[in-house]
Amino acid sequence: MITVTNLKKRFGENIVLNGVDLHVNRGDVLAIIGPSGSGKSTLLRCLNLLEMPDEGIIEIGDTKVDVTKMSRKETHLLRQETAMVFQNYNLFKNKTALQNVTESLIVAKKMDKQEAERIGKELLIKVGLEDKFHQYPATLSGGQQQRVGIARALAVNPHAILFDEPTSALDPEWVSEVLQVIKNIAQQKTTMIIVTHEMKFAEEVANRVIFMADGNIVEENEPKEIFHNPKNPRTKQFLKTLERDE
Amino acid sequence: MEFKLDFGYLVEIIPELLSFIPLTLFLAVISMIFAIIGGLILALIIRSNIPVLKQLATIYISFFRAIPTLVQLFLIYYGLPQIFPAFTAMTAITAAIVGLSLKQAAFLAEIFRAALNSVDKGQVEACLSVGMTRAQAFRRIVLPQATRNAIPATSNVFIGLIKETSLAFTLGVVELFAQGKILAASSLKFFETYLALALLYWFLIIIFTLIQQTLEKRMEKPYIS
Ligand SMILES: Nc1ncnc2c1ncn2[C@@H]1O[C@H](COP(=O)(O)OP(=O)(O)OP(=O)(O)O)[C@@H](O)[C@H]1O
Ligand SMILES: [Mg+2]
Repeated sequence: MITVTNLKKRFGENIVLNGVDLHVNRGDVLAIIGPSGSGKSTLLRCLNLLEMPDEGIIEIGDTKVDVTKMSRKETHLLRQETAMVFQNYNLFKNKTALQNVTESLIVAKKMDKQEAERIGKELLIKVGLEDKFHQYPATLSGGQQQRVGIARALAVNPHAILFDEPTSALDPEWVSEVLQVIKNIAQQKTTMIIVTHEMKFAEEVANRVIFMADGNIVEENEPKEIFHNPKNPRTKQFLKTLERDE
Repeated sequence: MEFKLDFGYLVEIIPELLSFIPLTLFLAVISMIFAIIGGLILALIIRSNIPVLKQLATIYISFFRAIPTLVQLFLIYYGLPQIFPAFTAMTAITAAIVGLSLKQAAFLAEIFRAALNSVDKGQVEACLSVGMTRAQAFRRIVLPQATRNAIPATSNVFIGLIKETSLAFTLGVVELFAQGKILAASSLKFFETYLALALLYWFLIIIFTLIQQTLEKRMEKPYIS
């Protein structure tokens, strides 16, 4: 479903992904945890080519590319295999909630407007925004904006949804509603990769967890094992630091 | 000699002056359209970081922001035909439009660049992440928001342009100001004539400002919480 081989990325001298190998099965919910700066966001952003990796082979759904010899067409195709939910929502500020969701359907998928709106409304209802169709992002709370962001990602019916710390920018009062929506989607066997600092949530929602440090995948296992019986010293240390902070 | 304001004369010449407003607006609007197209192209070139082209655009902006409008108009209308005889056929109106457009394009380029930059690139990333192309992201998401950001400053440029059309008289175009001069010279009522002119320019700007405010209000709608 998703297979990443030897993915490398550096920013100048700074090696951020040091030959990452990754495999995600259909319906998997993969959580990525790790200290700040370990390359979690970069890994996610390399999967949809918002960052251009320096080396590596990425296969998602029906598209397989070698990033060193990738055409514009392939870039575009690979991007269409996934959708992303951003830390800062990144909603289109000039569009209503509904238009945020239908935009890609109308513009990229050339769907007719009525059909797009039908799907858009369905998805907004699914994330609990049945009464916000025609409101602009500026009039929505953080939690509502992020739920629009999730509906927008669902709209393109992607092979996988990439979440980059979807609740980190939220006021604490909105976190649980967003996590709940993500859990609901996870239960419907949507393939997801979630970078998160919410360890409890990761444990509940994921069926696999990756611990990253310094651009490498250090440990990979079921949530129960990672969180309660970590093998690698770095994982142990990371989890201990978190406990201490709590 | 005691000065007495001839109010009757002031009122009397207004209809005649009014008939020159279309030409003034024509000069301003046409120049503005070309300036907007030019300014947008310049702004995009500068954002694109294409070698050579970017340097040329930077030089263009620096040059046209620096030279006085009058110098520029004279350069185009009286200067160019000496080097390129083909320009001899250029009318004064064309020269004025070319001059004003070239100049304001430079100012607009800066305004547009800032307005485009003010749309955070996260929204473009969001477009790409749902399978839209960069061009689609630009047209559907970036440009509308940048337009709204650019309207106040762009309106100021247009107000400046309306006023600068009066410089076309130096090339022999009989527009609003030139007609005022003609009237003043024959009646010798300088104060009344130029006061009438001032009021007319004021009136034009007030009307335009009203249009601008309506436009701004309409475009603000999505952004008010
Ligand atoms: N556009 C960029 N230019 C230069 N360096 C970058 C860029 N993006 C990320 N980096 C660097 O790459 C490294 C990994 O960053 P990344 O954002 O992937 O970390 P992260 O694991 O997501 O951290 P966090 O938990 O804080 O979000 C960091 O050292 C960061 O400074
Ligand atoms: Mg990150």
